[in-house]
Amino acid sequence: MNRYLVAAAAAVALMLAAAAFIFFFAPTDALQGPVQRIFYLHVSSAIAAFVSFAVVVVGSVAYLWRESIVGDRVARSAALVGVVFTTVTLVMGMMWAKPIWGTFWTWDARLTSTLVLWIIYAGYLLVRRLAAPGRQAARFAAVVGIFGFVDVPVVYFSVTWWRTVHPGPVISTDALPPEMLFTFLFTMACTLVLAAVMIAIRYRIEALSDAQPQSQFVLQAAQRPTS
Amino acid sequence: MRSIAVALAVARKDLVSEWRSRELVPALAQFVVLALVIANFGFQIDSRSAPAIAPGVLWLALVFAGLLAFGRAFAAEKEQASLEQVILTSAPPAAIFAGKALAAAALLVLCEAVLLPALALFFGTPLSIALAAAVFLATIGMAALGCMFAAMVAQLRAREVMLPLLTLPLWIPFIVAGGQAVQVMMGGGNSYGQALWLLIDFDILFVVLTSLAARFVLDE
Repeated sequence: MNRYLVAAAAAVALMLAAAAFIFFFAPTDALQGPVQRIFYLHVSSAIAAFVSFAVVVVGSVAYLWRESIVGDRVARSAALVGVVFTTVTLVMGMMWAKPIWGTFWTWDARLTSTLVLWIIYAGYLLVRRLAAPGRQAARFAAVVGIFGFVDVPVVYFSVTWWRTVHPGPVISTDALPPEMLFTFLFTMACTLVLAAVMIAIRYRIEALSDAQPQSQFVLQAAQRPTS
Repeated sequence: MRSIAVALAVARKDLVSEWRSRELVPALAQFVVLALVIANFGFQIDSRSAPAIAPGVLWLALVFAGLLAFGRAFAAEKEQASLEQVILTSAPPAAIFAGKALAAAALLVLCEAVLLPALALFFGTPLSIALAAAVFLATIGMAALGCMFAAMVAQLRAREVMLPLLTLPLWIPFIVAGGQAVQVMMGGGNSYGQALWLLIDFDILFVVLTSLAARFVLDE
């Protein structure tokens, strides 16, 4: 078994452990009942998405600054993983909203800004596909990745900047009982490990596809031309 | 100083070329009036519903007119292959970019000069300096972002599709703040000043960010 399989198996095991905590350890919410258990993965995947997009920014800056192919590959991998986790956040949020708010969607500041975040980084993935491979794709995507990150603080602070129906921060306000807090922090840690493993595997895929003979030519073009 | 001279020269070149051909501005003006006509059919507008719908129609028409204007700003250069030549000169990319954005913003302002009176005429909304100021402030930031992405997509395949996909999400802050200001002007409320300051903040943020990014977008 290579180390990627081991890492993937470990991440899956951690997520199963988190599920066990969510369903068997955390107490049932007095008001909302079992559906509140969505909270643990919903918030964790939102945080994993934010962290992934922060990784996109770091990789993009590294590429624009030093023409680092590694930075570009990291940004490519993290953008895809970030979009996946944003999708999970949105879908789980909708599943939670239906029984509690009575509707799948409402044009609330946080919901809207999260949807915009998804659209921005889906656009990032499209730019990668439509630009001439190599230097142009890397540079344009890096610019989109950095600009798109402007929306992340908007999503985060939307609940304090605007009047919203979406609940605000619960950790810093000490609103959770200890069992719930522990379950949440454990789930968050597991989700972050999962995101890291996904980015690492995606990085490997990108590196291998860059190593294809026809990609070599493009890669050389991605480096600064010797002038 | 040299950067400013370059930016003004590029802007002047674009405006002169538009003045000689008179292609874009008449088309844009006709487009925004058509947008109002379509809105009339889409929303079943009467004198009671007009004030509530007008701000939304204003921003929709402006956003799509902006996409057309900024898309043309670089697509025309790309078709004539003149963009490469401008980039090959020793002029700083940020200055070239600022000139293109300035010219495109001026064309959009001309188009607003048709849109706002037309809206007042057809929808019976009030027309004021404060309203024009909010729309103008939004135009500055939208021009900076729109021109940056237009420069990018001019070099992509499927540029007509990609320009709105990339630009619209980042224009949302201007539509949120500008929409708030326009709603106050047309309907009532007292958060006009706050919305205006927010627009100025966004203008500064995105003008700085886009001029930093210009180097990476205009570099072939």
